[in-house]
Amino acid sequence: MALRIFANGLQVVAVLALAPLVRGVVDWWKERIQSQRGPSIIQPYRDLWKLFHKDEVVSTESSWVFRVAPYVVFTTPLVVTLLIPVLTAYPLAFAFMGDMLGGGFVLALGGVWAALAAVDTGNPYGPMGASRTRMVGFLAEPVFMIVFFTVSVVAGSTIPYIVQQRWVASPAAFFEPAHVLLLVAFLMLILAEAGRLPVDSPSGHFELAMIEESRTLEYSGPAAALVKWGGAMKFTVLILIYVNVLVTPWGLARGPGLGEILAAIPLVGLKVAVFLAVLGIIESSVAKLRLYRISEFLGAAFVTAVAAMMTRLF
Amino acid sequence: MPVGPLVGALNDLACGAFLLTAFALVVVRQVQECLWVFVLQSVLLASSSFLLAVRLRVPDLVAVGVLTLAVKTVLIPWLLRKTVQEEIYARRELAQLVTVPASLLVSLALAVGAYLLTTPLGTATVGAGRANLPIGTAGLLVGAYTLAVRREAVPQVIAILAMENGAFLAGVAVAPDLPLIAELAASFDVLVIALVMGLLTRALHEHVGTTDVATLRTLREEPAPWSPS
Amino acid sequence: MVPLLIPLAPLAAAAVAGVRPGRWTAPLVTCAGAVAALAGALRTVLQVATTGNPLVPLRDVVGVDGLGGLVVGLVALVGTAAAFFSWGDLDVPDGEDGRRRLRRYYVHFNLFLFSLLAVPLVLDAALVWIAVELTTLLSVFLVGFDGTRESLEAAWKYVVLTLMGAAIALLGILLFYWALREAGGYAFTWDGLRRAAPRMPPSVLVTAFLLVLVGFGAKAGLVPLHTWLPDAHSQAPSPVCALLSGVETTAVLYVLLRLLPVVGASSGARADVWVLGFGLVSAGTAAFLMIQTTDYKRLFAFSTVEHMGIIMAAAGIGGPVVWYGAVYQIASHALTKALCFFAAGAAHHCTRTREMARVRGLLHLSPVAGLALLGGSLAIAGSPPFAVFVSEFAILRGAVAEGRLVPAGLLALFIVVAFCALMAHVTPMVFGRPPSSGTPRIPALCTLALVLVALPVVALGLFTPGVVHGIFRLAASSLGR
Repeated sequence: MALRIFANGLQVVAVLALAPLVRGVVDWWKERIQSQRGPSIIQPYRDLWKLFHKDEVVSTESSWVFRVAPYVVFTTPLVVTLLIPVLTAYPLAFAFMGDMLGGGFVLALGGVWAALAAVDTGNPYGPMGASRTRMVGFLAEPVFMIVFFTVSVVAGSTIPYIVQQRWVASPAAFFEPAHVLLLVAFLMLILAEAGRLPVDSPSGHFELAMIEESRTLEYSGPAAALVKWGGAMKFTVLILIYVNVLVTPWGLARGPGLGEILAAIPLVGLKVAVFLAVLGIIESSVAKLRLYRISEFLGAAFVTAVAAMMTRLF
Repeated sequence: MPVGPLVGALNDLACGAFLLTAFALVVVRQVQECLWVFVLQSVLLASSSFLLAVRLRVPDLVAVGVLTLAVKTVLIPWLLRKTVQEEIYARRELAQLVTVPASLLVSLALAVGAYLLTTPLGTATVGAGRANLPIGTAGLLVGAYTLAVRREAVPQVIAILAMENGAFLAGVAVAPDLPLIAELAASFDVLVIALVMGLLTRALHEHVGTTDVATLRTLREEPAPWSPS
Repeated sequence: MVPLLIPLAPLAAAAVAGVRPGRWTAPLVTCAGAVAALAGALRTVLQVATTGNPLVPLRDVVGVDGLGGLVVGLVALVGTAAAFFSWGDLDVPDGEDGRRRLRRYYVHFNLFLFSLLAVPLVLDAALVWIAVELTTLLSVFLVGFDGTRESLEAAWKYVVLTLMGAAIALLGILLFYWALREAGGYAFTWDGLRRAAPRMPPSVLVTAFLLVLVGFGAKAGLVPLHTWLPDAHSQAPSPVCALLSGVETTAVLYVLLRLLPVVGASSGARADVWVLGFGLVSAGTAAFLMIQTTDYKRLFAFSTVEHMGIIMAAAGIGGPVVWYGAVYQIASHALTKALCFFAAGAAHHCTRTREMARVRGLLHLSPVAGLALLGGSLAIAGSPPFAVFVSEFAILRGAVAEGRLVPAGLLALFIVVAFCALMAHVTPMVFGRPPSSGTPRIPALCTLALVLVALPVVALGLFTPGVVHGIFRLAASSLGR
């Protein structure tokens, strides 16, 4: 029992520590694909260090919402980390605290607070980014729902650990059309929710074209560090849900030994690295969509998810 | 890993991808993309044919697969290029009669309808070829919808060929031992369809000046004043 | 042996016309091929009618029985008349243009006739589907022959809607094949299907039949997928219209009428209601749409839709008298519709316009054309002493005797509406004062074609020769279960 609590804590610490690395790897890899040298993969750590040592500047127009939001954005992914399988294939101490819908709500809570804080500042770009993020969010909701519905009906449960045990039950199940179609749909969902191309350009500097980034333009100093870290953690959490629950449970610790759990870190890291490689290739091959085409993109994701559901349930 | 279930799973995968190509045909915006989606769909049909040949132990299906590849991935694009040259290479964005998200939702409803229609039909929907009949019917219905919403001539031709693809996908699982002569004649027939429609499109282009067939609406009943005299 | 040769005659004619499209050789060889086909068909029909047994030269592939023989005979007769009419009617400019035009027309005409003859001769259902597809593909360029914008539009709608229907019907045919395999090892012919029907799963049978009904119904002109029919059957040259309206729709209806008894033979499956429904809706829609047209060829095209609806409704009602009436109607409609379109062609030859409002006093302009038009319209509207009256009366009488008063009443209503519409449109065209003087001459060959189809129409309205009665009886028996 104590080991389970410890393992749970270890999961949270791992995500906390390695999330900026994930960001760094994906940025470096994208630049390498485009034949450039790219920043070092530990650059995000240096950025966070720098930001924590700077002063904070807060607009006089803003209220307590603006001040509280960075903490909410930072802690919500950590709460979700307690619920999903990160290192182990069996449920841990807090696994039954919330199911996938609960996890989704908690992540959305962070997004809502960020949007509220963006509106709070009085900066013209904040509310614009906030409204666009909400549009992408509500278009992505049906896809989330269908994906959760399909995996839950097949697994007979909505707890992520149980779903992961039953979803890809055998190697042949990997090629099932439902599985492959769901992978495609969820990948498109991650691209939308995490603000990657083709929905949004994470490295763009043009405020009028920003969707995710403009919500957090106003932050500075430690608050900016918390917001960046929280964003990286949300990205990592989404990737972990994808590779651990949906793709394959390979690499997760099966036994209760501490050594096994620690060995799972590099194996899961390998899965995440492969995903980031694929993501980098996708991002370097597509152009950013016009705002009104995003509904078509997410409509295609919805159709793919429903096709997956149909092929499995009928 | 036992071969049987793996082949069955790969066949399911080919059918799932076939369904996606049927949806893709409704939403692509360029004529050349339409053609590529059709070629991809034909490749998936041929691979389903080969996989079912292994699984159901029907060697005729190998010939069917080869025929499909030869006719639909090689001959038909070549034929369309020869007869409708400017149109295929025109890099023009196709207008739609219905917006893309609405079209996707309608296609989805049609696919669900196809599943509901074919699932009570019994033993064709269990076993190795179980996804073929529902997805083939879905491909047929979505192809018919594509035909209705496309304005241009060449995508309409491709939509008809896609409908036949759907019917054949259902056919390789449901009627695997159809006499080869019928398959041969059906493939020849598909070729003739492409030829005829290609030539007709060229005639349209020459005499009418456009291949936007939605503008051809002169033959209709007008409520004319009728006077007995 | 003879049935195998019937479709080969037009095929040979197509080859000759393609190689040497002379001003005399092409039409001559076409007419010769059609007459040869007619001779073969008549001989086959006579043989089947007198022996009462089907002729099967190639087991499970080619064969002729009552219904098939009837349709082959009709196709051959209308085809011959159309060949003669084309000879007289086709405009041939001099020089290279003329040769090209001749080649295009006659090669396509002969190939079309070949495919039409093939449909009732083939027994295997998958090959029949291919034959029906061929009838569409080989007639597209005939529909668009004029090269005008309207004719190309008509050709495009024709090919798109018909091929869409054919793809849907393909799925139905594949489902029939699967049901056959589930029931045991029978041949995939009409007979084999019928014998295996009691063992087939009923849900599959009904689904398969409905798919074929919708798919081939689009090609036969059943509402709601009939929208191509008025366009295609009015824009084509008149002899081609006669073939399209008279026999192509009949050939497709033949396929549907072959599959209906298969469903009927199964105890759990019911498809009559659907067939009756589609038939009544088609007849009604066409009858009311006939009131509104402004073009006399479209008028006749809508009349085709109406008659297809009547035949389907009759097949749905069922019962021996009604089936006999349906078979009679198939024959009388084919011949009468050919007469109507030939008359329309003659009228077009005189007046050079297709609009009804611009044609007046046709009887004075050209007695042949006026008389033909008047007679044809009266005949197709169902008035005595023509053949259509006898068949429609038989259908209605049989329906009332079966107790199906509502369908009978509706059919009678639609027939009356169509009659009124036809007469209201045609009478001003035929009588009255012609706008210009001069008497254009109808070519003798066109008159020959007119007489060739008019004679059976009048004859069948007055009495039924023994042989004809025999073949009708045989055909009707294959409609029952």
